[in-house]
Amino acid sequence: MPAVLTVDPRSGVPIYLQIIEQIKRSVALGVLQTGEQLPTVKQLALDLTINPNTVAKAYRDLEREQVIETFAGRGSFVRNGGVSEAKTAISDVAAKAFETAVRDARALGLSKEDVRDLIERSVERWFPEER
Amino acid sequence: MSTIQISHLTKRYGRFAAVDDLSLEIPAGSVFGLLGPNGAGKTTTFKCMLDLARPTSGTVLYDGKPLAPEAFEKIAYVPERSVLYEWMTVAEHLEMERRAFRAFDTKRAFELLAGFDVDPRKTARKLSKGMRTAVMAAIAFARNADILILDEPTSGLDPVNQRTVLSLIINEAAKGHSVIFSSHQVGQVERAAERIAVMDRGRMVLSGEIDELKADRKIVEGIFPSESYALDGLASDPRVAHVECTERICRVLVLSGADEIGNALAQRGAAGVRIVDLNLEDIFLYAVSPKTADADVVAGARQ
Repeated sequence: MPAVLTVDPRSGVPIYLQIIEQIKRSVALGVLQTGEQLPTVKQLALDLTINPNTVAKAYRDLEREQVIETFAGRGSFVRNGGVSEAKTAISDVAAKAFETAVRDARALGLSKEDVRDLIERSVERWFPEER
Repeated sequence: MSTIQISHLTKRYGRFAAVDDLSLEIPAGSVFGLLGPNGAGKTTTFKCMLDLARPTSGTVLYDGKPLAPEAFEKIAYVPERSVLYEWMTVAEHLEMERRAFRAFDTKRAFELLAGFDVDPRKTARKLSKGMRTAVMAAIAFARNADILILDEPTSGLDPVNQRTVLSLIINEAAKGHSVIFSSHQVGQVERAAERIAVMDRGRMVLSGEIDELKADRKIVEGIFPSESYALDGLASDPRVAHVECTERICRVLVLSGADEIGNALAQRGAAGVRIVDLNLEDIFLYAVSPKTADADVVAGARQ
């Protein structure tokens, strides 16, 4: 698990959000599978050298979003159905990235047509097999 | 475990107020980072918390009660400058701690010293600055204290040992102990602490949870097609903390509501609006000196 998760404490993105996003990503991509155990709060805090309460907050949010479940004394696990929750969440992340990219392109003075062209070119580049 | 409540704490030395009407609450079991430029009043605050300096006015309460002498068993303090007896060996210092504090774990202290690569047979006078800091840290973390008050606990340490101290702080937090520490290395506070307060010239200029501060505080930058733009009262919006405008670019520090302020800039004719995330160092710099911070953010041009 430590190999899957890294955080950048100096980023402007709150650390607990970085943890949430990366765990969702790992679950959505099958790096973490249903029923698989996550590191304990203490272990992850020590591995990443970050505040344990920050890790606990991330885990609580992941529980609320039904990606993971925690059993007292046993630890936290990827929940049954957590994969589809994580996939939905990850597509939200992608949507937000598009949102930012389009906003930035507009800020740079590109027209609607320019932006559409850019998106089309990216799609062709990253889905070559479906051309 | 205890909640620490500092209320209207003022400490004057003659006419100079080292700490000026400071109020803050440190929840039990949290890691609290105290930031501030030199002379901001961090050390004086710690001394007042420990009864080593008598407040001119105001109170420091632990779970609602003033510090009782027996509470010293529960609190470990690392002062900014290490206090070691020059003629005594490191091992003798540990022995002294063992006699003074029932919960002192001598075995653990020796392990920590080995981790810092400090030879316990050395006399204090033979120790480098970093080694002295390491000895103070080893003693504090072997105390099994509920509350650790650490004044610049990593000063003079190399990066590896700095990381060790951070891990020790995190380990204490995982045990439910409270750690209050100051550091000029904002990146360390950003990792280990969940809450911070920023002091400047004796006064508290900012406090809160780091994650919340980062989620709320943003720079919103609007680029205008011509020089004739007007902000129409945007600067007096309570969410706006600071505005810096040049001919075509207007940069706004917001305390919250970055998206709405961004939209407001667009409504006022901004052709491009960019929202810039701030890390703790930026937030700190803005709190103590908006001008310097601006220059920094522009130079860094973080996305």
